[in-house]
Amino acid sequence: MENIIMVENVKKYYRLAKRDKGISASFQYLFNRKYEIKQAVDDVSFSIKRGEIVGFIGPNGAGKSTTIKILSGILHPDAGNVKIKGYIPYKQRKQYVKNIGVVFGQKSQLNWDLPLIESFELIKFIYRIPQEKYEENLRLFSELLEMEDFINQPVRQLSLGQRMRGDVVAALLHSPEIVFLDEPTIGLDVVAKEKIREFIRYINAKEKTTIIFTTHDMQDIEKVCDRLIIIDKGKKIYDGSIEQIKNKYANSKTIEILLENNEKEIRTFDLNIAPMNAVMENLFAQKNIKDISICEPEIDGIIRDIYGGRIVLDNMAAEEN
Amino acid sequence: MRAYVEFAVKKFQDKMAYRLDFFMGIVNTAITIVVYLCIYKALYGEAAQVDGITYRMVATNFVITLGLSNAFDYDEMLIEHKIHDGSITGEFLKPVSFMLRLLAENIGEGVFKIIFNFIPALLFTMLYTKLCPPKSVLSLIVMFCSVVFGYLILWLISFIIQTWSFWLLSVWGIITIKNVFVNILAGTLLPLWFMPAALRKIISFTPFEAIYFTPVRIYLGELDGVEILSGIAVQIMWIAVLGVIANIFWKKGVKKLVVQGG
Repeated sequence: MENIIMVENVKKYYRLAKRDKGISASFQYLFNRKYEIKQAVDDVSFSIKRGEIVGFIGPNGAGKSTTIKILSGILHPDAGNVKIKGYIPYKQRKQYVKNIGVVFGQKSQLNWDLPLIESFELIKFIYRIPQEKYEENLRLFSELLEMEDFINQPVRQLSLGQRMRGDVVAALLHSPEIVFLDEPTIGLDVVAKEKIREFIRYINAKEKTTIIFTTHDMQDIEKVCDRLIIIDKGKKIYDGSIEQIKNKYANSKTIEILLENNEKEIRTFDLNIAPMNAVMENLFAQKNIKDISICEPEIDGIIRDIYGGRIVLDNMAAEEN
Repeated sequence: MRAYVEFAVKKFQDKMAYRLDFFMGIVNTAITIVVYLCIYKALYGEAAQVDGITYRMVATNFVITLGLSNAFDYDEMLIEHKIHDGSITGEFLKPVSFMLRLLAENIGEGVFKIIFNFIPALLFTMLYTKLCPPKSVLSLIVMFCSVVFGYLILWLISFIIQTWSFWLLSVWGIITIKNVFVNILAGTLLPLWFMPAALRKIISFTPFEAIYFTPVRIYLGELDGVEILSGIAVQIMWIAVLGVIANIFWKKGVKKLVVQGG
């Protein structure tokens, strides 16, 4: 399938005014400012095919939101090219934004004082959604996300989970081909998260919508995304499947042992130091084992190690896939 | 176009949500009218007219001016707030013009204020004092057009200053100064009839005269046919000039935000 999103060597710098502590420094700041250049996005390239769901992760301040803003046309990159569905987002913004849906989990797009349904009505007019299509989408979405109970309440009275569901629906009502979700599960409980995940999966399967998804919750990524892009300090450090990263970087395995006397023991081994063979031999020699189970590595742990610098990703190898 | 009508309608509905605000708005408007009319009455004392202007003309001027400024009473800090909390970026994600959308919403709010604050207060005032009737039905209709143009001039001035928040951290001070200028130079506090001739000459070269004073004079029949047309032409000229300036500032501001990231 063709690439719907192409990002080539994109860079974005921010100029930050530097400010020292103290009153004299404050005065100085009024007249003579010093600036610092921060590289928010530093030479990032990737391409995404139609219908893919891509998880976009990285520690706080890694440049995820900046990248999403460049992709959705509200930021101009300082260098590099972006082409999405034939548009250059930041140059052809007005025509381009009809084709996308965006959710910024931290900022609601809904009308605070009006019932949710009124905000949706407004979206119908903004995007000129045909009445039939609008009704069909609204019925389907509110059923999937169980919104019937609160769709007539003003947005300010909604819980965070309800509001977020409203925001996701608002971004998808016009059946956009490309959807950017910037932390759509932030601050939600397990049930609400699960609902949003299922919904995203469903939309992707049904409409072949291309979705880019940023999050800090690895469960989101494991359950929803086919592909994972990790960025850190503005640079892309991984691009590939989740399985791959698990297989490649899961150096430690956790083994749960049930002993004859029904006592449980949990042990973690680093396979680089002690290969499985040696570990097992040792265990069988030492203990009377009734049952044994090897736990798969948790993606959370791997990501933690990547952010912490304990795993250095071999980017070139990852890119080949 | 339909979307913009909906923006106005939704804003109108929005306002309905705050009931106390709505009742207090009526009380507030009525008190303002009564207080000012008392002051004018006291100033006139026994005199039938001052410089050829009767008390009733002044009262009528005040009521029309108040109606228009009532309609104009919306959140002028909106763009600044949106830039501060970053929600301005959300506006760029929709395939509509932000400027027209804001205008539509402000008009929706203005229509609400006129219907639910100004008209009840006006009816109350008419029990209390007599106002001048319009010169003719035609002058009433022409006045309505002129009021709309006056509103647009006021709105564009406010919008231009609001867009400065792309460069300045706060525009509250400038907005306050602008409102003082409007109050004095457009004749909200003291009708322009009583301004010194020199000052009035200067004001006639600014957009301020075209805001409230032109509609009032049309209503009272102070202008004849040609003067009405030239008055409205001046209003349209100001709308065009301010519209171009507003567009330049808005585009430059957006560019700054999009290129530099705010």
